[in-house]
Amino acid sequence: MPPEPTDAMKPGAATSAAVGGTPRPDTSTRAGSRARALLHGFGPILGLIVLCIAGTALNSDFATLDNVMNVLTRTAFIGIIAVGMCFVIISGGIDLSVGSMAALIAGAMILVMNRLAPSFGSPVSVIGIGIGFALLLGALFGLAHGLLIARGGIEPFIVTLGTLGIFRAYLTYFADGGAITLDSDLSDVYSPVYYASLLGVPIPVWVFLAVALVGGLILNRTAYGRYVQAIGSNEQVARYAAVDVGRIKVLTYMLLGACVGIATVLYVPRLGSASPTTGLLWELEAIAAVIVGGTALKGGAGTITGTVVGAVLLSVISNILNLTSIISVYLNSAVQGFVIISVAFMQRRRK
Amino acid sequence: MSVAIEFRDIVKAFGPVQVLHGVSFALQPGRVVGLLGENGAGKSTLMKILSGYEQATAGELLVNGRAVHFDGSRAAEAEGIVLIHQEFNLAEDLTIAQNIFLGHEKRRGWLLDDAAMNRESARVLQQVGLRISPETPVRQLIVAEKQLVEIAKALARKARFLIMDEPTATLTPSETERLFALIAQLKADGVTLLYISHKLDEVERITDEVVVMRDGRFVARAATRDVTRHQMANLMVGRELSDLYPPKAPRPAAAQPLLRVQGLTVPGWAEGVSFEVRPGEILGFAGLVGAGRTELFEGLLGLRPRTVERVELEGRPVRWRNPRDAANQGLTYLSEDRKGKGLHVHFGLRENLTLMALSRYATPWLRPDAERRALEEAVKRFGIRTGTLDNRASALSGGNQQKLALAKVLHPGPKVVVLDEPTRGVDVGARRDIYFLIEALAREGRAVIVISSELLELIGLCHRVAVMRGGHLRTTLDASQLTEEELIAHATGTH
Amino acid sequence: MKSVIRKLAIGASAVAALLTASGALAQTQPQVHIGVAIPTATHGFTGGIVWWANQAKKDMEKAHPGLKITVKTAAGAPEQANQLQDLLTVNKINTLVIFPFESASLTKPVAQLKGKGVYVTVVDRGLTDTSAQDAYVAGDNTAFGKLAAEYLAKRLNGKGNIVALRGIPTTLDNERMDAFNAVMKNYPDIKLLDARYANWNRDDAFKVMQDYLTRFKQIDAVWAADDDMAVGVLKAIEQAKRTDIKEVFGGAGSKGMVKTILDGKNKLIQADVSYSPKFIYDAIKLTAEARLKGEKLPATTIVPSVLITKENAKEFYFPDSPF
Repeated sequence: MPPEPTDAMKPGAATSAAVGGTPRPDTSTRAGSRARALLHGFGPILGLIVLCIAGTALNSDFATLDNVMNVLTRTAFIGIIAVGMCFVIISGGIDLSVGSMAALIAGAMILVMNRLAPSFGSPVSVIGIGIGFALLLGALFGLAHGLLIARGGIEPFIVTLGTLGIFRAYLTYFADGGAITLDSDLSDVYSPVYYASLLGVPIPVWVFLAVALVGGLILNRTAYGRYVQAIGSNEQVARYAAVDVGRIKVLTYMLLGACVGIATVLYVPRLGSASPTTGLLWELEAIAAVIVGGTALKGGAGTITGTVVGAVLLSVISNILNLTSIISVYLNSAVQGFVIISVAFMQRRRK
Repeated sequence: MSVAIEFRDIVKAFGPVQVLHGVSFALQPGRVVGLLGENGAGKSTLMKILSGYEQATAGELLVNGRAVHFDGSRAAEAEGIVLIHQEFNLAEDLTIAQNIFLGHEKRRGWLLDDAAMNRESARVLQQVGLRISPETPVRQLIVAEKQLVEIAKALARKARFLIMDEPTATLTPSETERLFALIAQLKADGVTLLYISHKLDEVERITDEVVVMRDGRFVARAATRDVTRHQMANLMVGRELSDLYPPKAPRPAAAQPLLRVQGLTVPGWAEGVSFEVRPGEILGFAGLVGAGRTELFEGLLGLRPRTVERVELEGRPVRWRNPRDAANQGLTYLSEDRKGKGLHVHFGLRENLTLMALSRYATPWLRPDAERRALEEAVKRFGIRTGTLDNRASALSGGNQQKLALAKVLHPGPKVVVLDEPTRGVDVGARRDIYFLIEALAREGRAVIVISSELLELIGLCHRVAVMRGGHLRTTLDASQLTEEELIAHATGTH
Repeated sequence: MKSVIRKLAIGASAVAALLTASGALAQTQPQVHIGVAIPTATHGFTGGIVWWANQAKKDMEKAHPGLKITVKTAAGAPEQANQLQDLLTVNKINTLVIFPFESASLTKPVAQLKGKGVYVTVVDRGLTDTSAQDAYVAGDNTAFGKLAAEYLAKRLNGKGNIVALRGIPTTLDNERMDAFNAVMKNYPDIKLLDARYANWNRDDAFKVMQDYLTRFKQIDAVWAADDDMAVGVLKAIEQAKRTDIKEVFGGAGSKGMVKTILDGKNKLIQADVSYSPKFIYDAIKLTAEARLKGEKLPATTIVPSVLITKENAKEFYFPDSPF
């Protein structure tokens, strides 16, 4: 490699040159690492942009406002859960139960609302109570997870693998294996929560945006958010630095539970029912969104922006596949897999 | 056969940061050479290049006159060059023998030949003077024993050029003596030794010559007998060094102790320990490794199961369940294990500094600008050397990390601060800064407890020193009784 | 077709009467012990299977004191194989009615039971080696696709655009799709725009339908191919406020869909095809009665799929069933 003048200007290089060595310029590695750092930060966004260009090229309807809103609305559930999941993963934990939890909350919420409907005059207040109940139930489930993990000292993987089965089994039990359906009167009043728009943007997208913004603010600008990162980065150091590790962990699982509750509140009015297939594999989609978005699975560092982009990216893939016929339907999951791995590759960390 | 090494214009850059600026010097075989320099002088990087863990950006490395290029530690080991890290590279759950042969396992056909490996391990363990079964899991060893296992591992790999980075940092005096005997024996066997240490008395004692580095450059070399310790220190720092320790203020005569602990028992580590410390006082804790000093204070903070009769802070009884309670009431603790318990090395400096006092910056939103101002102040006050304030803690040298850790535990403004090995792995210049800082803390009216394995440090700094042995507080010596002999006698039970 | 059902019904009641009369003579050890191995309730259809199996147990054991039925549900093929072992060694069954989780992987375990003298009735999914079974009772997947195609072709007067949804890639799904395509061959003016998997899942069907609506500006009918998927399809259409679609055709005859047809609640839903989980009830009943008499079942019994319209919907409405 030929020496470059810029390096000779540096005192260190000049010294070594003067002694008579042959200094090898380090511009190439420097440029390389800078490009890599850039890719690391923008990997998911870059992936999303590439996908969007591809989508538009394959079907001009891709870039229409309606389609964009469809995709964003669909992303809302997973996205909102992913924001909560982002906290849990950054803290060094994991929650495998969110899909089942969403299903059980949806089922329980519908049952409660159906039960209350006859005794309450206004459907609006019934729905209000239902929403409150869903959020409370989510936080309670999160509390149970947090206590088992932080105070009980059980691995989060095992605790939530256990509740994954428990939640879904109880939903199936309540539904007798079929579906739990919201009374049609309530359903009519409730459905705008999913289907209505504000300023041309569907309500779930607004909620998703709000959750992401508040999540970002909490993660980056509160003591709690800092503690979450500190625990995930090195729990021992955090404990020695007088961080109440147990309490922060419990709060983190409660936050995720509340996010699942919010997602469920938006989900129920869509179909007005919950069935044993509700929320199937949401946990993996949420975890994938977080990781594709650049958060380390082992915890410590991650961003809400990345998580949001990751969630949108995942639903854009299946949207594009549905809008075209160039790839065999049998290969849909393969395409998804390839994209996830490529994006992860672009933003992999340098050791 | 011995190994002669020559560095020619070694340059090393990490991204835009250049840490070695063309280092050239040669080492003759069969000698013990002390490599001196402050933290960040580039000693460790140079040694990593020599042992194959890092590759030079430019320059040549010659082994016995032949240019070599090591693309990994295995290549260096093939030439007989082995580095013993400051932080050990041992797999805790494997046995000593398994560690010694890790990556070089002996086989018989498809199967591992455990018998042969255990036999060979027993031989090298005997050579380093460690009388312990090679089938003992490394997890069960104390630090000093791990050190010896590392050396045994190097010997098993036929090391002819041994690099030791701060080998005595965690050793007690008698263990250090044993290591020195071993070094003399290795030298007699023709092994070349490169000895990196901040402890100049040790360097003076065991090395044949010294090489001094500063700011990534070679500065000087001399036969050890031709230079004094003071000259060594001056060469390292690049300026005239005044006294290492601040002048001692008399022990304050306050009637009421700031912290008073009665009957603290940490099962398995400490038994019924009582002590007290006054405002403005520096109380030392001496003892051998394993005497229970660290565990005593971890117990006091609720980090370990413990029972305690009574703890009083400023005369009021207190109950601490965890470090948070203690910090809220005004006691913070600096761990001896900087990377494992002290600092978030992947965090920025700012996030590390403010972690223990975050509520001060939350209104409820954190104010990064205020945090940044605090960092600027701390960098100035604690003399933390960092390229940019946006660095991660891992980018700092060991000494500067230690200053940051110190700044962190002092940031909440504690009334009592417990400093566990505050100068471990810290060079002379930074060490002096830390001593003056501790003295300043005491002068501000805080109570300071210093746990240290370096007797001179305790003698130079403390008003009183409590000596622990076998989990019991044996005696508390005051300034007039403080001598190395006295401390060793109490610590070893030979009084 | 109807005569078959009627004949079965007559036969059943006759046997029931006979056995009730001899009930006093029944021994404590049941003459016939039927093990029923079915999948756990994970969606509407399997929910129905479980419900109907338990319903059969209730009805049959009441009617025949010499009969004992043990129902086992499994969440996967390996678990089902283990249950077969338990049924034989622990419960000591002499008759098995199985709804196999998968055809291939359960053939061997079933063959083993048959080898030990257990009478085997296989329901819905055939085994790969038919010698492992004594009788086969199944729904009519060909009719499932065929009836849907014929109905939609007639409804569109042989001209228009159709989109279809598919379940999970399985032979069962393929049979339905092939039958559908076979009929559509006769209608060159009907265009099948696309057929995508939505996993018999409401949410997935919603998403797939949304994307169909974005992609195709003119859709005349949707073959949702499952009543659960039809729920998602209807919601997507409602949201997009599209008026071009004349018919959404589900499948299986779930309680909700049949009720919709019965009440004429949704003009998009005019017909359905039966593929009721009730066939597990029929299979258990047929097997029990034949075994109690010491008779054999015909090698293959197809429970016919029937087109459900407003006229006959009443016969397919079971308000107590979860499906």
